[in-house]
Amino acid sequence: MDNIYRPYLMTISDMIDEAPGVRTFRLNFSDEEEGNKFQYQTGQFGLYSVFGAGESTFCIASSPTREGYIECTFREAGRVTKALRELNIGDTLGFRGPYGNVFPIEKWEGKNLVFIAGGIALPPLRSVIWNCLDLRDKYKDVTIIYGAKTIDDLVYKNELKEWDARDDVNLVTTVDPGGETPEWTGKVGFVPTVVEEAAPDCKDTIAIVCGPPIMIKFTLPVLEKLGFKHDKVYTTLENRMKCGLGKCGRCNIGCTYVCKEGPVFTAEEISKMPDEF
Amino acid sequence: MIEELRKKAEELLKNGTVKVVFGYGEGSVPERTRPVFITKPEDVNKLTWNKYCVYNLTTYLKRQETRKLGKPALILKGCDARTIIVLLKECQIKREDVYIIGVTCDGVGDPLAEKCKACDVHTPLIYDDLVGEKRENKEVPFEERYAELDEYEKLEEKDKWEFWQKQFEKCIKCYACSNICPLCFCDRCIVEKNQPQWIDPSAHPRGNLSWNVTRAYHLAGRCINCEECQRVCPVDIPLNLLNKKLAKEAEKSFDYRPGYNIDDELAMSTYKEDDDEDFFK
Amino acid sequence: MEKTLNKNNFDSFITGLKKQGYKTIAPKKDNKLVTLDEIQDANEISLDHVITNNSIKEYFLPKTEKILSYTIEKNKVEMKEPEGFAVKSVIFGSRPCDAFSLPVMDKVFNWDCVDKFWVERREAVTIVTISCDKFDSYCFCTSVGLAPDAKQGSDVLLTKISNDEYLVETVTEKGENLVKELESVFSDPPSGTPDRQVATVEKKFDIGKIKPWLDDNFEHDVWDEFSHKCIGCGACTFVCPTCHCFDIVDECSMTKGDRVKNWDGCQFKMFTMHTSGHNPRNTQGMRWRQRIMHKFKYYVEKFDSTLCVGCGRCSRVCPADMNISEMLEIIETEAGK
Repeated sequence: MDNIYRPYLMTISDMIDEAPGVRTFRLNFSDEEEGNKFQYQTGQFGLYSVFGAGESTFCIASSPTREGYIECTFREAGRVTKALRELNIGDTLGFRGPYGNVFPIEKWEGKNLVFIAGGIALPPLRSVIWNCLDLRDKYKDVTIIYGAKTIDDLVYKNELKEWDARDDVNLVTTVDPGGETPEWTGKVGFVPTVVEEAAPDCKDTIAIVCGPPIMIKFTLPVLEKLGFKHDKVYTTLENRMKCGLGKCGRCNIGCTYVCKEGPVFTAEEISKMPDEF
Repeated sequence: MIEELRKKAEELLKNGTVKVVFGYGEGSVPERTRPVFITKPEDVNKLTWNKYCVYNLTTYLKRQETRKLGKPALILKGCDARTIIVLLKECQIKREDVYIIGVTCDGVGDPLAEKCKACDVHTPLIYDDLVGEKRENKEVPFEERYAELDEYEKLEEKDKWEFWQKQFEKCIKCYACSNICPLCFCDRCIVEKNQPQWIDPSAHPRGNLSWNVTRAYHLAGRCINCEECQRVCPVDIPLNLLNKKLAKEAEKSFDYRPGYNIDDELAMSTYKEDDDEDFFK
Repeated sequence: MEKTLNKNNFDSFITGLKKQGYKTIAPKKDNKLVTLDEIQDANEISLDHVITNNSIKEYFLPKTEKILSYTIEKNKVEMKEPEGFAVKSVIFGSRPCDAFSLPVMDKVFNWDCVDKFWVERREAVTIVTISCDKFDSYCFCTSVGLAPDAKQGSDVLLTKISNDEYLVETVTEKGENLVKELESVFSDPPSGTPDRQVATVEKKFDIGKIKPWLDDNFEHDVWDEFSHKCIGCGACTFVCPTCHCFDIVDECSMTKGDRVKNWDGCQFKMFTMHTSGHNPRNTQGMRWRQRIMHKFKYYVEKFDSTLCVGCGRCSRVCPADMNISEMLEIIETEAGK
């Protein structure tokens, strides 16, 4: 019988420091055959492990349109992420996944998209952003609203430049008041406030929001005010998880297991969940 | 005595001295009581007093849920009241933030709890009000206080080791022992820290040994022998034997017994420039 | 298949099991406790208890178990699958409530993907249950739809029919095979209707009223009020035969290590705490609500089973005398308001 807790062995083929404490790894399957069979869709997550330190849950930050590797972006916070940071190119780590549901990007075809992210929550959206940009013809206007505490804390700085330079993407970046420098040309203000100013018209538009619980809490009402229907707003949740497989019993919000029925939910689904975020 | 307790509680709640009374209520079965938190004067009839009032209610001083109820009055036996003295010394509470309804006590548990056999605090050493007839606290000789250890201490070193290995093997790492302990008040217990991982979280022999020994060591010279850890252990590990052994060693080394005198310096956390031990200087 | 087993034949039964290569686990007295533990000899078996202190769970979901081993050499990692965790065994003398917990838990361990550590053990272990001829005030199996002689989850059910005789009923094919393997220790079934000595456990609440109330009362004062006395330990969840929550951690030296699955419990504050310090279940009231909701609402919705078998262990061991059936009685009363 297969061991559902057995990870794939992955080799770090590249890494980039995104922001203080935040790093991205590009991972290739150590076993090529496993890599060829591996498939995932945008929105899914996995458990990344450092042998000896343990497993940690985060999304797959790369787009399935980019084949042959996966990427993950993590911030050093706990034991596992600290150990991850100590790894180098060529080192081995473990990956279990892909787990969870997906962003229904086919359903969004022909629509405008607005991606809203805060802080370290851009990685899950980066996957779906690239996925949609790689299929650019299928979508109308694409807006990305991204904020962090300070300029330094903005992740994927190279990609932000790339998106900014594209004329088929409207990128709005913001930093919290006090996080700016005199040279900063982006906005200054919290994400919910900036959303109110910069969000596109709600007509025919899908909003995809990801951020810390407090940002989500304040952004959803703003979107509602702007006329976004609950079923047109998507988010991806992160809860503490250990198995990712619906067994270990800790990621549930009410009856919903974030690891299996999520992590992607519509605001409508969220509104039906009990207040236990 | 029950009536007196209820009257006292009612008075304190009515005149606003306290917001809540931590006391004993009827339990699931006649042989049990349970902690109750009385916030309304009309509920004081829920308070009871009998030989099953084993709990040391001071443990609820560390819990945010019961702290939120406001200034408490605690119904405390002599042994439990010793905790207050330690908590005061360790700066965990302020005297004015707790109201102590001391109760004189002839012992609890059925059969009589081990801790009661050599009791020298039938009347609490600290209280605001005393319920029950005041009793003389007769000194109990050192040997008698640690009589529980006699048999254990006779064991050979290797038999002691074997004994504890067998006991700790049972541990399921439920942490009832530390959660019930009024003196295990660390916001984040060492076992919850993983950088570095001081204690293996698994309930295997190594993890169990390091957990149980660390817990006991952290109480050396602090434990007031309420025996709550042992009472609550679902797998019946004689935890208090370990506590008591360390208490005995602490008393022998420092001539100190925690929770007796508010003016005593703490055994384990007092700094003196002229300390006997070189490593202190 | 029906047979009888005389107490005097327990000895040959246990010896027979050994000969057939079974490891035998049975209730065994150990100071104040009676625990399901490995036995070598029939006279180690304790029969005069209400229920064992430990539940049957630990033979399928141990308090700690390796789910992966590995060696680390420079940047090369080699993984090794744990072996030998599923041992051909018989659990003899467990209670019907414990036995029933197994098919209940099968549901979560087979949900979508199969947890082989649970499933392979399930295949390797045969359950020979003894019906309860006594009970205590913590028992409430009848309130959650079970009975002191319920058969679900057992492979063989023994029920006392006289001072030293048990009626043997096989429940599954596995049970039937076991009885056949050891045929000589059993006698023919009694003629006529045997006098089954089964405890009468009174119903404490109407389970039908619980979930509808839970559906509407995620927010309710009772959660905080009832749990003020809770000290936030894991005793209730660890002795529970149906609490299956676990943690996964790595334990290792410089060159080799194990990935380990450990019991974990929803009453611990760390259980759901994010690395950031944010905690979705920040108070004991929320954690207590989770325990009740998981057992009597969430699991019912997901798997069509109550995640409680009424063994009462959690209430027996609770350091603060939190009594789960009392909680459910309160809910029943609230539901009637």
